Amino acid sequence: MKKTLFQKVLCLLLSVTTLLGVFGLTVMAAPSDGSYGTNRDTASSLEEMTALIGVPTYSEYLNKYKDNEAAEGAGAIKIDVVGDRIEKESNSMTVADSLACQDSIKRFPELWENFYDGSVESEALFLPENGSTTWSFNVPDGAASYYYIKITYFNCYVDYTDPSDSSASSKSSISSIERKLFIDGAAPFKETSYVTFNKTWQFDFVSETEPVDCNEEDSETVTYVTKKLAPEDEREAYCKVVRTVKNKKMVEKTYAISQDINGNSMLPTVEQTSKWGTYYCQDSTGYNLDFFRFYIFNGTHTLTLEAEREPVIISSIELIPVDSQDPAVKAEVSLPTYAEVLSKYETEGAKPAKDKDGKDISVRLEAEFPDFVSDSAVYPTNDKTSSATYPSEPDSQVYNVIGENSYNALGQWAAYKFTVSETGLYKFGMRYLQNALQGMYICRSIKLSGGQNELPEGALGRYGLTDGSPTAPFLEAYSAEFDYSDDWQSTYVNYRNESGEKVDFQFYFVEGVEYTVYLECSLGSLREIINAAETSLNNLNEYYLRILQLTGSTPDDSRDYQFHKVMPDVLDGLKYERDNLTNIKKELEALCEDSGAHTATLQTVAILLDTMWKDRGVEIAKNLGNFKSYLGTLGTWINDSKKGTLIVDNINIVPADQDGEALPEAKAGFFSSLWFEVRSFFYSFFIDYEAMGLTAVPDEDSRTVDVWLAEGRDQSNIWRTMIDAEGGFTDTTGYGVTLKLVTAPTLLPSILAGKGPDVYMGLDSGSVINYAIRKAVLCVNGNDEVNQSEDQRAIFTHYIYRNDENEYFYLEHELTADEVAANGYTLVSKPYSEVSADNYVTAATNTLTLEGNAYGVPQTMNFAMMFYRMDVLAELGEEVPQTWDELLSVLPTLQSNNMQIGVNYILALDFMIYQKGGSMWKYESSEKWAGARIALDTPVALESFNFICRLFSDYAFPVSFDASNRFRTGEMPIVVGDYISTYNTLTVYATEIDGLWEFCPLPGSDTGKKDQDGDPIINYNSLASVTASIILEGARRESVETTIEVENEQGEIETKTVKRYPDMEAAWAYLQWQTSASVQANYGNKMVALIGPSAKYQAANKNAIKDLSWTAKERAAIEDQMANLSSIVNYPGSYIMARYMKFAFLEAVDEGTAPTEAITQYIETINLELTRKREEFDMATLAPTDPDPVQD
Amino acid sequence: MSQTTETKRPVKRSEMSKLRWTWKEMKRNKTAYFMIAPFFLLFIIFTVLPVFLSMILSLTDFNMLEFPEFVGVTNYTRLFLQDDIFILACQNTLIFAAVTGPVSYLLSLLIAWFINELPPKIRAVVTLIFYAPSISGNVYLIWKTLFSSDQYGWANATLMDLGLISSPILWFEDADYVMGLCIVVALWTSLGTAFLSFIAGFQTIDRSMYEAAAVDGIKNRWQELWYITLPTMRPQMMFGAVLAITNSFGFGAVVDALCGFPSVDYAAHTIMHHLSDYGGARYEVGYSSAIAVVLFIIMFASNVVIKKALSKVGE
Repeated sequence: MKKTLFQKVLCLLLSVTTLLGVFGLTVMAAPSDGSYGTNRDTASSLEEMTALIGVPTYSEYLNKYKDNEAAEGAGAIKIDVVGDRIEKESNSMTVADSLACQDSIKRFPELWENFYDGSVESEALFLPENGSTTWSFNVPDGAASYYYIKITYFNCYVDYTDPSDSSASSKSSISSIERKLFIDGAAPFKETSYVTFNKTWQFDFVSETEPVDCNEEDSETVTYVTKKLAPEDEREAYCKVVRTVKNKKMVEKTYAISQDINGNSMLPTVEQTSKWGTYYCQDSTGYNLDFFRFYIFNGTHTLTLEAEREPVIISSIELIPVDSQDPAVKAEVSLPTYAEVLSKYETEGAKPAKDKDGKDISVRLEAEFPDFVSDSAVYPTNDKTSSATYPSEPDSQVYNVIGENSYNALGQWAAYKFTVSETGLYKFGMRYLQNALQGMYICRSIKLSGGQNELPEGALGRYGLTDGSPTAPFLEAYSAEFDYSDDWQSTYVNYRNESGEKVDFQFYFVEGVEYTVYLECSLGSLREIINAAETSLNNLNEYYLRILQLTGSTPDDSRDYQFHKVMPDVLDGLKYERDNLTNIKKELEALCEDSGAHTATLQTVAILLDTMWKDRGVEIAKNLGNFKSYLGTLGTWINDSKKGTLIVDNINIVPADQDGEALPEAKAGFFSSLWFEVRSFFYSFFIDYEAMGLTAVPDEDSRTVDVWLAEGRDQSNIWRTMIDAEGGFTDTTGYGVTLKLVTAPTLLPSILAGKGPDVYMGLDSGSVINYAIRKAVLCVNGNDEVNQSEDQRAIFTHYIYRNDENEYFYLEHELTADEVAANGYTLVSKPYSEVSADNYVTAATNTLTLEGNAYGVPQTMNFAMMFYRMDVLAELGEEVPQTWDELLSVLPTLQSNNMQIGVNYILALDFMIYQKGGSMWKYESSEKWAGARIALDTPVALESFNFICRLFSDYAFPVSFDASNRFRTGEMPIVVGDYISTYNTLTVYATEIDGLWEFCPLPGSDTGKKDQDGDPIINYNSLASVTASIILEGARRESVETTIEVENEQGEIETKTVKRYPDMEAAWAYLQWQTSASVQANYGNKMVALIGPSAKYQAANKNAIKDLSWTAKERAAIEDQMANLSSIVNYPGSYIMARYMKFAFLEAVDEGTAPTEAITQYIETINLELTRKREEFDMATLAPTDPDPVQD
Repeated sequence: MSQTTETKRPVKRSEMSKLRWTWKEMKRNKTAYFMIAPFFLLFIIFTVLPVFLSMILSLTDFNMLEFPEFVGVTNYTRLFLQDDIFILACQNTLIFAAVTGPVSYLLSLLIAWFINELPPKIRAVVTLIFYAPSISGNVYLIWKTLFSSDQYGWANATLMDLGLISSPILWFEDADYVMGLCIVVALWTSLGTAFLSFIAGFQTIDRSMYEAAAVDGIKNRWQELWYITLPTMRPQMMFGAVLAITNSFGFGAVVDALCGFPSVDYAAHTIMHHLSDYGGARYEVGYSSAIAVVLFIIMFASNVVIKKALSKVGE
């Protein structure tokens, strides 16, 4: 379709004036996959759920065993990880047997050499990311005692794909390694459900020069400079240079963060490092600092590790008696107090470090260059709040700090290596910003390691476990405190002693030894207070549910419920918690010497509790609603308090006798700040935000794909990095990409004006079809003979290769790797059929297909799933309902406890039709008539419509509800909703119920059929809603005449003159790259790394799900539901169905109209609209009186 | 010589055609035309032209992505003869305009008059309070919280506490309540620019007029209002009236935000919604242009009526 300029201008004008806003269409549309899951085993059983409740907390556990004798002089018990395994209860392989391990061994030979050398004694065991492994061990008579559990594990990146057996494949993701630890088949206490082994990550910004001979004393100097990283670079990059001279050899290590063409830092990639680690079983919630003590009686026991996340390799498990006299063990498990350490300094004559010549021997570590991090979510970032932050550029975003929204979750750390030039005592000084928690301080643990090789055990200046793992040098180092201030501060790392004075920590470092300091987020001295608040919250939640069970959610104010007789313990409990919260507030204020806004929350809750328990609880009914919302507030308060957001600019290692003068200035002077602000302001007019992240000015000659996306800046940056990365799109295909961040309504006018992009990412399937039937989107499966020439269609049906001379080859068959290499080819793209068959369920591709033409490749896919509270169901003794009948049989139990089930009716109305085996459209078997009439008047559809309406009218399901809040309080233990948004909301919003909920496929409907075993076949179908990447009409505006070699029918190669469409080729190559499994998984994981676990990505590519950071169980549930998916095809006029179904539903619920009557009255209206729309597109239509053209 | 005198004789208006006269006047006042040109060009391109374009477009079938096709008056016949929803939308719009237009107009006027009586400092504060709802963007969403369909919504919870209802009412999803609620919200946000212009109008009135009127025998404040105040501020009243009409006919976004689009059973579906339904969701810009033209005519006609009515003020 060629437009004249006048027509274009006219169209644009018309559209601008008349377009009032593009309304997103509800995804509506078609046929079921026909795949019925017969067994849904991804939900937890009642037994599993019951195991969750009734488990004591660690303090209760210790209390229970406090009178038990601890045997003296018991020896350590070693478990042979291979030999002591109970084979039939174990899903694990020896390293020798595991192909995944063999694969890793090839990758990390030096580590495995150590391993077989005998530095680790026994054979190691590979534990995959699912299943559990059980060992038996024996505690000899008279050795019943408290034991620590010590596990040696290999922390490595496993990436192994078994071509023959996909279940044997294993891949590490960005999550940490999580296991549940059971003794004798049961969790000894709650905290062992979250056994977390650290991984270590490293940024790829370090480069090292070859050693050069030099004639200097041993030394190490750290400098921060700006220099060109490569001679051809245009800009100077900011870097850290560490120059080390050792044994007359000089090595220069450069840390540099790469930049885009405008000097903005780009997020460096982070990789998992591999090393052996020692893990003492300890609390990952941060409330207990000591290692866990397990009381174990004599006799034979079993120990089980059940997989939650990530594969791991372990080589030994040891039970170490807590009062072991072995000095090596003692040094590892018991920490001195700071006072003891100080007296040791004195007896050993440790003095503040001093240079002989009086030079400054301080070491400055810029925080943006960590050597290791605990988590890929800990990364450097840019701060512009102070011009004193080093380095600060008014015109660009240079990474100059670490820790803004990331690096604040418990257990996350950043580690820095350093070496001092003089032996002696030092202090750590830091320049930081803590403006997150007003009226509170936050804590970091200072952990150290180093000196294992140079210094004898127990010597001053040696830190960490024997294997080099870091430890806190003394107890108080767990709670280095950082006070609140709205501006930057520069202080020495300190703590408050009993008398409330601040004491700076002193550490002894030996010259020439390489130390590593770890700054770990911890609760420190706040742990007891926050723990108490959390216990309070849990109790109050329980009281709330108990009151709710008596009164219902809207109690009658004027009725006396006789709380003092029915539940006197609740009244006492409310009173107790009031005192508790008041005390917590007082304690906090005493600790922080401040009563900021932050603690006021506790006060308000306490005041409410006070009114509630008084006067025999008569005020409870009136205040129940408030109570509920205050519980939410208290939960948020605890979340906030646990988050220690600290932005660090630098860390200084300063001789202990220096005062604050030796530290960098905290604040910039008034005039320098002003000048900086002014410059920033004016530069903001000249910054090209579109070029953000661009590493090279696009080459004039190379073909570029014009890509638009309407998402956030973070998303766009991630795509940019991935496109430009090594092995990324540009690198592998040679095409450039201009990526533009736009707002969604821009697309339509741009197409009108002929200025549209080649590719648009993330358009909802309804709009895709709407644009497509109006000929603005290109069909990508080569089926569109009406609008596309043969040469255009060929792009989507061939394997396209390119050789070094930039000649293109369209082949029918894929070449083997050898053939590709022999010809010097690069694979540009594959045919659509292969892309779609390998990666997508048909439900996903169906929504983008009309009359056999596919108009895009799915990018994201969302669908409804069921979320349930395991603790609540277990307490009620109910299984997770597998079918709607079971759901309804659970309902009386729930309702008698004043609990509810939350179902999103808009989703349910649609998926129910497909679960019952129906469809939204009639005549789907016929290409001509499909979508000509709505199928809502079929018996199946009416039955399912009726069923859903009755849930809301007869069974009083709430129509409108705040799912996350009610799920959190337990009032709504079952919620049916979109899996990704519900999951993300609950993860970020309801952390106090972590581990108490799960999700699984939807409850199913009995199809009435039986399988070969005579079991009923249940249909669990959910509906897919999809967004897609599309190629727009404009991509075929350019063509070139060329001769190509084509394989004819006889298999001979002949040359032929054809038209090539380079933009289309490039766009198709991009689409394919962008939606491929590895790229989608990589993107999803980067999002989680950047934004946190609440940014899970709903990739449509089923192969990408495998590599996204779900737990094995979550992944199984998602894959299970993905196998049971239908979708509604977007035939012309499909927008009308959702509208009238909603009207009919609300009429049935509001007015009590019979559901079938409510929906039937609209059938004709809907069909008329469909007919009208089909006429517009010259499709076959049916008048109301016409008989069925085909039988379904 | 006499010939030259002849030609130099000033041309009389009656001696030339209207066109020539205009051209001559334009040449004489070219500076003025030059000064007004920038605005006038923009006005024509962005206001007049689109109106005419949408009139032309209303005679075509246009899906925004392909070139329009001329179809005659089909759109209009379909609009008036086949489209039930449009008739419903007209009805809703008229009810809506008939209630909110005059009520909000009178409310603005009366409140402005009352506020005008206050001492200046208090007046500033009170003005801000009344004006606040209309400047604070999407603040009307507070009504969504007040009348949430959830049983914990304020209105539902209160009514259930009082024992008036036993299960939550789905306020914005129940055809019985939607229109009433939307009218209330519309009135709440309606004290906008018109209200401010009234306040300004009241303050520009020359005090000496009141003294003169008192001498002439004005008996009470009502007479003062009717004979002096209102006629003096007729321009502001006209301005306010135009705004009230456009607002009440063009009321749409608030309904969308509160009831979703489309509102349940089209209970609060106005012409504006109908227009965006066809233009946005169904890509039938020709048809939605026809709707726009009808809306334009209705607004234009009511403007004329109001103008007439306002000229009677003070008589």
